[in-house]
Amino acid sequence: MKVIQIKPSELDAGLEKLESACRLIGPVKEKSYHLFKTLEPDQKPDLAYINTRLSAKSVLYPQSEVMFEFSLDKNDDQYAILKEPEKDRTPRAVIGIRPCDADAYEVCRRNFDTEEYKDPYWLKNYEATTLVGLACSNPCPTCFCTSAGSGPFSDRNLDILLVDNGDGYLARIITDKGEKLAASAGWNTEAGSDAEAAIEKKCGEAESKIKSSVAADNLEKHSLIDLYEAESAIWEPEGFACINCGTCTYACPTCWCFDVQDETYGKSGVRMRNWDSCMYPLFSLHASGHNPRDTKIARVRQRFMHKLKYYVDKYEKGIQCTGCGRCVRLCPVSIDIRRVCNKMNSYDPETCRCEVASG
Amino acid sequence: MKNLLEHMGIDPGRLHFSWISSAESTKFVDVAKKVTEEAASLGSKEKKYMKTKPKVA
Amino acid sequence: MTTYTQKIREISKRLLQEGRVDMVIGFARGSVPMINQPAFATHSADADRFVWDGNCGINLANYVTGRQETIGIVAKGCDARNLAVHIVENKIRRDQLYIIGVPCMGMTDRHKLTAAVAGEIESVDEDESGKTVTVSGDGFSETFNRAEMLQENCMLCMHRNPVLFDEMIADPVPEQTDEDIDRYGAVRRVENMNPEEKWDYFDDLLSDCIRCYACRNACPLCYCPTCFVDESKPQWVGKSIDPADIRIFHFLRAYHCAGRCTDCGACVRSCPMGINVRALTKKLEKDCLEYFGWEAGLTTEQRPPLDTYKPDDPEQFIK
Repeated sequence: MKVIQIKPSELDAGLEKLESACRLIGPVKEKSYHLFKTLEPDQKPDLAYINTRLSAKSVLYPQSEVMFEFSLDKNDDQYAILKEPEKDRTPRAVIGIRPCDADAYEVCRRNFDTEEYKDPYWLKNYEATTLVGLACSNPCPTCFCTSAGSGPFSDRNLDILLVDNGDGYLARIITDKGEKLAASAGWNTEAGSDAEAAIEKKCGEAESKIKSSVAADNLEKHSLIDLYEAESAIWEPEGFACINCGTCTYACPTCWCFDVQDETYGKSGVRMRNWDSCMYPLFSLHASGHNPRDTKIARVRQRFMHKLKYYVDKYEKGIQCTGCGRCVRLCPVSIDIRRVCNKMNSYDPETCRCEVASG
Repeated sequence: MKNLLEHMGIDPGRLHFSWISSAESTKFVDVAKKVTEEAASLGSKEKKYMKTKPKVA
Repeated sequence: MTTYTQKIREISKRLLQEGRVDMVIGFARGSVPMINQPAFATHSADADRFVWDGNCGINLANYVTGRQETIGIVAKGCDARNLAVHIVENKIRRDQLYIIGVPCMGMTDRHKLTAAVAGEIESVDEDESGKTVTVSGDGFSETFNRAEMLQENCMLCMHRNPVLFDEMIADPVPEQTDEDIDRYGAVRRVENMNPEEKWDYFDDLLSDCIRCYACRNACPLCYCPTCFVDESKPQWVGKSIDPADIRIFHFLRAYHCAGRCTDCGACVRSCPMGINVRALTKKLEKDCLEYFGWEAGLTTEQRPPLDTYKPDDPEQFIK
């Protein structure tokens, strides 16, 4: 792996070159917070940002996405035939994605890209995208990536990792995709031989700034039924405050559930998919009227059991969380996945107790 | 309700509330005519009230 | 504020020990600053979790809806008004409740505080007199005049003292009057716009909405078993982030709260995107006051104006 030095002026010049070659997506500030957006011509990503309010999930997986179009005009010879619309699959690059959000793509991929099922929408977007990550030098108090399979400098799912070194950036080129992007941006000044060491040093500093963590080492060992039945120790006290809004799931970079809807507009219509949330009663409502998860406690349990037990057991790749902390920050009633995870991890079915107290 | 609709930016000329008994068929016809005429006179540029097909990303 | 906390714990313990209530609902310290967590205690030992400060902005009336137990509930002015609405609407019986009244000087606005400082806020402290609020984080600490950092609805609050209570934890705080504050300035600003400007104003206001329904779910009034947006037979509203569907959701939700909304601000407080949803409900509150002389939740003796009929109800708009 080689490391390149990019001066601030070279960064801007490179982005201008890239603009003509591909679509650029980056963090921009709107109203009072940052979000990922396709950059307008001459618009620069704000790389001084801490993190975006919502995750980068929407870059590959928009909240609402058209899957098919159809005509409802009986005189049309294409009447009622579902057709896939032309979509923009041209190359694009995300500039300044945080490592936790990129690692979340790996988590989502386990769902969207399996032997049996390949989600064409997510996968085609993924393949068209080059990820230029921005290492976190100032993690937030709510960050716990280092104990959630990610890290402030994690580059496992990046094509390039940018590290702010005061005077521009050190760029670690990780993949061929990254190599190509750097070449077309004209970023080619190889950094000195001490660059790797400098990055490692900064990485160590950033990691030491992360103050919170989750313990997840026992989750796999626990019996699923024991955790499921831990009502009085976990689910009732944790679920009480929950208002069953979808904030945690919509802010989460690894929540992938969606709902398919048909909508019509006069004589034409679309079939689309929209993010859905296991916090909503409608999520599990059967056509018969029966709802297997008809209480909020059951829905809260579902969210955490999915992330911290079912996923753990199914994929054997750790928890379905990269520690970005968004759900912790945005939950209106301070339900904290770190506390829930630690409770689950320390749950003792004999005594029905956890080592971690309620809030 | 009328106030809140107007508050959100619906043109007052497009809102009409009437009390019509099921026996007053002629009144219903008259009101419907009047309302459609009034709305039409405000022009159709205000397509914004209608839901449009989502963009394909 | 710490005396409030002590008093709440004391009363909760007494109620639980005496068996006067099955549970007490109050606030526990949240795991992040500026957000406290609604919590319950069923044993007197659990009551030590309870705290009181300027981060108790969620409306606890939302947590008693349809419950069968006898409940001690910590209630600031707006919570108590919403309990009154609940009682009128048969969502809870008065004799099930033991209301622990909290005179309230307003809740701090987490969005405002976040925007006021450059760094990440790690802790928030209020002085005992309630005059200042200090936020600190890595390498900074800033003190603000608390009155300026309140949620907008708290700045405009006329009922800081609970109107319905069994026991107060402190002497009443001074109430604001129409001479101190202009309750409807923001509503009038929108009223004075032309239809086009109004439309654009709400377009911009709602443009960030992600339809998480936090506003609805934090609202004590929104207790319908199935909300109209969740109906599927028939489905009234589309599910995408189409602006028309988002507008319909907010418009109808607000309208369902007409004459019932106490402007507690839980909707705004809970919105992850910081949308001022009150821009809709405040207009309805103003209209109810002007047309019916009505403010919600001040009595359990009277039903709200929109579910009663009076011959002199205003009806000029029906032609």
